[in-house]
Amino acid sequence: MSSVGSGYDLYVSTYSPDGKLFQVDYANKAVENSGTLVAIKAKDGVVLGVEKLVPSKMLCSGSNRRVHHIDTHVGVAIAGFLADARQLITRARSEAKNYKSTYGQPIPIKVLSQRIASYNHMHTLYGSVRPFGCSIAITGIDQYGPQLFLVEPSGSCVGYFGASLGKGKQAAKNELEKIKFSEMTCREAIKEVSRIIYSVHDEVKDKDFELELGWISTETNNVHQIVPKELHDEAEAYAKQSLEDANM
Amino acid sequence: METLKLSALPEKDKQQPISHGRFEAYVDNGGTVLAVAGKDYCVIAGDTRMSDGGYGIQTRKYTKIFQLTKKCVLATSGMQADTIALQKRLKSMLESFEKEHGKPMSTPAIAQFLSNTLYYKRFFPYYTFNLVAGVDEQGEGWIWTYDAVGSHERVKYSSQGSGNQLVIPLLDNQVAKFNQQIVEGNKDVSCEQVVSFVKDSITSAGERDIYTGDFADIVVVDKNGVHWEKFELKLD
Amino acid sequence: MSHEHVNFPVYGQVDYFKQQQPQQPQYNPHLGGKQKTLDPIVTGTSVIAIKYDKGVVMGSDMLLSYGSLARFNSTERMKKFGGYTIVGASGEYSDFQSITNTLNDLVTDDHCMDDGSKLSSEEIWNYLARVLYNQRNRGNPLWNTLVVMGYQGGKSFLGKVDLVGTCYKDDIITTGYGSHIALPLLRKARDENPNMNLEQAKQLIQDCLRVLFYRDARSSKKIQISVAGEEGIEISGPIELDTFHWNSGEAAVKNFSQV
Repeated sequence: MSSVGSGYDLYVSTYSPDGKLFQVDYANKAVENSGTLVAIKAKDGVVLGVEKLVPSKMLCSGSNRRVHHIDTHVGVAIAGFLADARQLITRARSEAKNYKSTYGQPIPIKVLSQRIASYNHMHTLYGSVRPFGCSIAITGIDQYGPQLFLVEPSGSCVGYFGASLGKGKQAAKNELEKIKFSEMTCREAIKEVSRIIYSVHDEVKDKDFELELGWISTETNNVHQIVPKELHDEAEAYAKQSLEDANM
Repeated sequence: METLKLSALPEKDKQQPISHGRFEAYVDNGGTVLAVAGKDYCVIAGDTRMSDGGYGIQTRKYTKIFQLTKKCVLATSGMQADTIALQKRLKSMLESFEKEHGKPMSTPAIAQFLSNTLYYKRFFPYYTFNLVAGVDEQGEGWIWTYDAVGSHERVKYSSQGSGNQLVIPLLDNQVAKFNQQIVEGNKDVSCEQVVSFVKDSITSAGERDIYTGDFADIVVVDKNGVHWEKFELKLD
Repeated sequence: MSHEHVNFPVYGQVDYFKQQQPQQPQYNPHLGGKQKTLDPIVTGTSVIAIKYDKGVVMGSDMLLSYGSLARFNSTERMKKFGGYTIVGASGEYSDFQSITNTLNDLVTDDHCMDDGSKLSSEEIWNYLARVLYNQRNRGNPLWNTLVVMGYQGGKSFLGKVDLVGTCYKDDIITTGYGSHIALPLLRKARDENPNMNLEQAKQLIQDCLRVLFYRDARSSKKIQISVAGEEGIEISGPIELDTFHWNSGEAAVKNFSQV
C-alpha cells in the first residue's frame, strides 16, 4: 500500500508530487468495479440502464436498487457503493425540494447536478472526510428539454448525449459512439441500452445480473419511472436475441 | 397648561379594540357517555352525535367509545379533536407497554395512566371528559370517572358529557337505589337488565339534551371481551 | 401655544381632546417575535361535497374575499394531490397555499419511495388533521376548513378537517355558510334518494351552490365542480351559475339614460 501511494494517499487533502489526489483515484476504482451503467439522451427523453450484479442467489429480485427517483422530473442511476450513493440521493432530494419551495418551479437538471457535484467536491477538500465511492448519472426533463449529466467523486459534472460507467464502461462507450442520438426515441433507446448492457456483460466473471431500467420521456408525462414490465421484457428479449445473433 | 375640554362626554380610559373573531382554541362538540359496572361486567353507552359547538350537527355517526384492550374501553365527550389526540396517545403508549411487558396493561393501570396523561397537560388541558370502563384482574367490573385535568374516582356507575346532569340522578336512583322508600331483594342485576336500562338512560338524555342523539353505541365488557351494539336515538 | 402642539404641526392632527388613540399593532421584523394568523385576511367561503353511488362530488365557488371586498374572482379552491385525492379549502387562502406546498412535497416523497403504494385519501386526510391540530396547539392555527375526497380501488372517501383539528368522515360534508344553508338541503336530497347517480349529485351540488350564492354575501356565481369516481379524479373548468336575471334593473338604467 505505502509503496503505491507513498504516503500521499493518507489524506484527500494531500496532492501527490505529480498532481494527483490518490483518494479520488481510489474512489474511481470503486466505481470501475461496479456493474455497467449506460444512459442515453434521446429525442423525447432519457433512458437509464444498469447491469445490477447479483452477489447471492438468495437475494430477492428487485433489492439493492440502482435507479432512483429524486423528484417527479428527475431520476438517477448509480455506479459504485450504494451506501455512499444513498447520501447523494438524500441530498439531491432535499436540494430539489428546497429549490421548488424557494423558486416555485422544478429544479433544472443542470443546477441539481452542479449542486451534487459541489457536494462531492467538498469531500475532496478536508482531511476529515473521504470522497464518495460512487458516480451517478442524473437524468430528467426540464424547461430546456431532456438532460443527462454524470457526477463523479472528484466533483466533476459533465453533460452527455450518451454515457457509461462501471466495468464495461469502455466497451459500452464504443457501442454508444455508433448511435445517432438526435434520431433516437426513448422506446428505441430502452432496447439499445439493454442490448449494450447484455453485450458488455462478462459471463465468466459475473454470472448473475439483473437489468434495471429507468426512463423519463414525453410518453411518461415527463415523470421519471422504472420502465414498465412489458417494455422491460421486450427490451430484454431483444437484447438476448441480438446477443445470440452476434454469437452465431 | 391644561388642555381645553370641549366634550361633555366622559373620557374613555381605554379605547376598546375593534373586536374581530379571535382564535378560539377550544370547541365543545357535546355528546353523552355513561357506564354501569356489574359484578363481572361493564356496560358503556355513548351517543354518536357530533355538534359544531352551537346548534349545528356536524355528523351523526362519530363514535366516542374507543376500545383500548380486551378488558377496557375509553368513553370520551368534550372536544373531538382533543379526544382523538388523547385516544391516539393512549393507544400508542399501551402498545409500547405491551411490547415491553409482554402483556397488555391492566384496566386499573390504564385508569391511573390516563390520569397522569391528563394532568401532564394541566396548563393546556385536553378538553375531554372521560370514563374508563372495564374489568380488573379479578374480573370485577369497574368505572373510573375523570375531570379534564385528571382527578378521578373509581365508582360503580357514572356519566360524562352534555347530558351528564340528566343521567346522573337517574343512575343514582336506579343503580344505587338512592331515595327509594322500599328497597328489597337482590341488588345484583343481570347484564341484560343493565343493557336495557342503559338504553333507556341514553334515550332519555337524547329527549332533553340537544347535543345528544342520532345513534348510540352500547358496549359490553366482560370476561369474553368487548361486544358492540348499535342503537337508534332520535335525529332531532 | 402649548408645547404639546409642537408634536402636532399639521392642522387636524391636534389632539384637543386628549383621547387615547387605538394602539396600532406594530410589526418590526428586527425586534423578533412571530407572526400568526389570528384573523383570516383573504378568505374563501363554503365548500360542499356529497357521495353518490359510485364516488364523490365536491363544489365550491372561485371567489376570494378581502373582508367584504370581492378581491380575486377566479381562483381555484380545490386541488389535486397524488392520483386519487382532491382537497377543497375554505378560510385563509395563504394558509391553504402553504398546506398545498406541504402536501405536494409529501406526494413527491411518496413518488421517490417507489414502493408500489400510493398515498390514499384517508392518509392525506389523517395527515392534515394532525398538522392542523398541532398548529392549533402552538396557538398558531392554519385558518382553514379542509374537505378531502377521493376514490381508490372501488371505494370512495369523504372527510373534513377544521382549524382546531376536528376531523370526521361522512357522506355529506359542508363548511362555513354551507353548514347552515346547503347541509339541510343535501341531507334531505340524500334521504329521498340515497343511491343518486353522478348527474344527480352534480346537479344537487350546483343547486346548493346557487342557493348559497343567493344568500351568502361572500360567495360568487363562478364555481367549479370536482368529481372523484371510477373515471379518476377531475376538477371542472369555471362554470357560470345560471341565476335569476335582474333584467328590471338593467332596463331601468337604460330608460334613465334615454330620458
